[in-house]
Amino acid sequence: MIASALPEQTTATAAGPPSAGGSVASALADTGVDELLREFDSELIGLAPVKARIREIAALLLIDRLRRERGFTAAGGPSLHMCFTGNPGTGKTTVAMRMAAILHRLGYIRKGHLIAVTRDDLVGQFIGHTAPKTKEVLKKAMGGVLFIDEAYYLYRPENERDYGQEAIEILLQVMENNRDDLVVILAGYKDRMDRFFESNPGLSSRIAHHIDFPDYRTGELMQIAQRMLDAMHYRFDAEAASVFDEYLRLRMAQPHFANARSVRNALDRARLRHAYRLYSHPEADTSDEALTTITAADLRASRVFAAAEPGTQAAQ
Amino acid sequence: MRLTQGTFSFLPDLTDEQIGKQIDYCLGQHWAVAIEHTDDPHPRNAFWDMHGAPMFDLNDAAGAMYELAACRAAFPQRYIRVTAFDSTLGVESIRIAFIVNRPEHEPGFRLVRQEAPGRTVRYSIESYAVAANPEGARYS
Amino acid sequence: MGTVESVEITDTKQRYAAGVLKYAQMGYWDADYEPKDTDLLALFRVTPQEGVDPVEAAAAVAGESSTATWTVVWTDRLTACDMYRAKAYRVDPVPNQPGQYFCYVAYDLSLFEEGSIANLTASIIGNVFSFKPLKAARLEDMRLPVAYVKTFRGPPTGIVVERERLDKYGRPLLGATIKPKLGLSGRNYGRVVYEALRGGLDFTKDDENINSQPFMHWRDRFLYCMEGVYRASAASGEVKGHYLNITAGTMEEMYRRADFAHELGSIVIMVDLIVGWTAIQSISNWARDNDMILHMHRAGHGTYTRQKSHGVSFRVIAKWLRLAGVDHLHTGTAVGKLEGDPMTVQGYYNICRDTTTRVDLPRGIFFEQDWGALRKVMPVASGGIHAGQMHQLLDLFGDDVVLQFGGGTIGHPMGIQAGAQANRVALETMVLARNEGRDIRTEGPEILRNAARDCTPLRAALDTWGEISFNYTSTDTSDFVPTASVA
Repeated sequence: MIASALPEQTTATAAGPPSAGGSVASALADTGVDELLREFDSELIGLAPVKARIREIAALLLIDRLRRERGFTAAGGPSLHMCFTGNPGTGKTTVAMRMAAILHRLGYIRKGHLIAVTRDDLVGQFIGHTAPKTKEVLKKAMGGVLFIDEAYYLYRPENERDYGQEAIEILLQVMENNRDDLVVILAGYKDRMDRFFESNPGLSSRIAHHIDFPDYRTGELMQIAQRMLDAMHYRFDAEAASVFDEYLRLRMAQPHFANARSVRNALDRARLRHAYRLYSHPEADTSDEALTTITAADLRASRVFAAAEPGTQAAQ
Repeated sequence: MRLTQGTFSFLPDLTDEQIGKQIDYCLGQHWAVAIEHTDDPHPRNAFWDMHGAPMFDLNDAAGAMYELAACRAAFPQRYIRVTAFDSTLGVESIRIAFIVNRPEHEPGFRLVRQEAPGRTVRYSIESYAVAANPEGARYS
Repeated sequence: MGTVESVEITDTKQRYAAGVLKYAQMGYWDADYEPKDTDLLALFRVTPQEGVDPVEAAAAVAGESSTATWTVVWTDRLTACDMYRAKAYRVDPVPNQPGQYFCYVAYDLSLFEEGSIANLTASIIGNVFSFKPLKAARLEDMRLPVAYVKTFRGPPTGIVVERERLDKYGRPLLGATIKPKLGLSGRNYGRVVYEALRGGLDFTKDDENINSQPFMHWRDRFLYCMEGVYRASAASGEVKGHYLNITAGTMEEMYRRADFAHELGSIVIMVDLIVGWTAIQSISNWARDNDMILHMHRAGHGTYTRQKSHGVSFRVIAKWLRLAGVDHLHTGTAVGKLEGDPMTVQGYYNICRDTTTRVDLPRGIFFEQDWGALRKVMPVASGGIHAGQMHQLLDLFGDDVVLQFGGGTIGHPMGIQAGAQANRVALETMVLARNEGRDIRTEGPEILRNAARDCTPLRAALDTWGEISFNYTSTDTSDFVPTASVA
């Protein structure tokens, strides 16, 4: 289980004072949520449809809040539970963390933390273990967001005694009765999630927002790589940049490609080779440039290039 | 008779909102919150029954309120208290404990005196409810 | 500061020639001395007579509180006298107090008997305070090495265990001293105990001079008080106590009274500071053996703690009492009728309650003190305080304190129970508000007035005493320059 730290308290947390009249812009600024949305747009690469959906949800929640402050109530509060579908490495967890902060600013969750779990955190091995385990996680998540990755593993129809069903039932109960206390985000592959919902209509009906995360395009992955390098104080030299572009095209065509996660792994391996290259040439200088520059050779050594047949590279 | 153990017994019974704020205060101090209940409120009864283990690592009062609701549903006619534990070196004990549920009727305690030579008296305190009924059948 | 006369004479022949030497020349001044972790350190404020060099004054203090006498003695040479000599190692002018100096003196651990405050005090304050070349001297602070601290047993109960025994957490405890101090019969006296505890207090208290006088013999007092305690306990379901003062003319009589308190089921006894260090340590052992909370009334301390120029600071007395082993200690109120500047008083509270006390010049703490896991003393705020000051008291002192409202309980216009109830409601209201995140320092009066709407006794208390305050200038404030660095 992974718990993200509580967000910094800002002056504009939760519900500010209600004001009669005023503009949407000022209401937006009051909550500080416009700033979060701007950061969201600029700091995350690609994800255009996701960003659009998040903006819609934020707009709904903001207006809903303004309406409530003036006494216009729709039946019940807005349902906030969500489902994020998409391939690995498409930014689901990252967006969930941003979502938690946005919900916190708008006053829909009190603390704004995110607890990320998988089946193993919720389901016990033995009879009687599952309920306390699930409740423990739910209690920790209250006040924030519970993010269940690969949620469909909770449901194993092939084993009718599977304890996952027990976890789903408690989850449903709390999603319904404690709507003010936590927001649940289920995440996973789109096709498997669709099948999961078909078998668990109760769960499906409580999810208000389905957001699909597309795979990144090569150019976006390249930008992501640049961001990661900046953050680690590395850079590509001119040749390395184009080699990495080539690398991405090859890698995307191979199985188990995991978008940003694969980029991260490729860079980590390049760092290893970079380090080993310097280590193997003890006479080489240790200028800042040498210590921070990843060269074409550091990338070329990848198995991805070896696997690709010579001559087909240009075609790809 | 109103049992006045606990931090806030001289105030009107706390609302759930007030209880939640106190629990949030405890969490802010990094204390672990626990829920305990009893039908034997003798002042020397240190060990009320635990409704589960102390809750470590909560982020919000809602988690404890969820358990409190479950405890109230199971034992509506018992005394229930919220306690918070501080594991700091030099404390390692309870830092706050307040009653959040009490039976409708509180018969209180009888003071039993045993006269001894030299005008000495040996005192003991006996709960009417405990004297009248076995555990589990009091206050109902 | 290195005049010729303040330099130690190292030539043995010269040093031990019969006659009179300066203390500094005898080796009681060493500007280069680096205090060891195992040294006891003392900070004296001295006012030398006109013409006396401050360094020589400091050396004299070190000398007179360790091995020296007014003249050279050859018998020094039969000992490892360099070690036995205390060393004055630093002298600073007191900020804004012309003619006064802070003198730092280090004592080797071997100078002291383990576990004996009597020995410690005989050494440090036994002689030097009447020394003629000094107009005045005051022991401001001490650093007790942890090796020495561990030779004491400390408080028999301590704050944590006391709370567990009382089953009372999360708020200051409430007490009241029974008034009038003198003249009540045992039966009338016990009535006040019952009323105050029944109304909502946790403790009531004998005053310092309630012993066994013609109007009320001690056994009568004990019997009626315990009847009140247990009646109130049965009526509330709470553990209650009355500090039974066992102070008496002899140790034998004190033990007799303590045993009777124990036999009656009391959870707490009290002694006055004037019984002396040895008696305090003895009764502390008794309290430890009998699961008894030991309440210390600092009767008489004002004779030597109050004047800034001469005597012993209360912060030092508090340190000695924590070693000697008391559970409750009166440490001032800052807002009540008795002496105490708020910061200085907070310094005393920290000494009682810290695990390690850090240097804190505004609060008069000059040394870091590691308490070596010694239990904590519950400070008691008593004297001229009332429910209307609840926000200030809680803000100044926090939860671990006994707030004693004597007049503020017994003098309530609607009766003693109402007075006690007003205090308890005011306290719980303020703790609740503080925990909810409200700024009690500024919103306190409003919070109290709101609570008073539903509590007539509190309203009456605020109407009666709401405006009373004791604003006199304190005589004992800390002297420090905010930027000064301290060894």
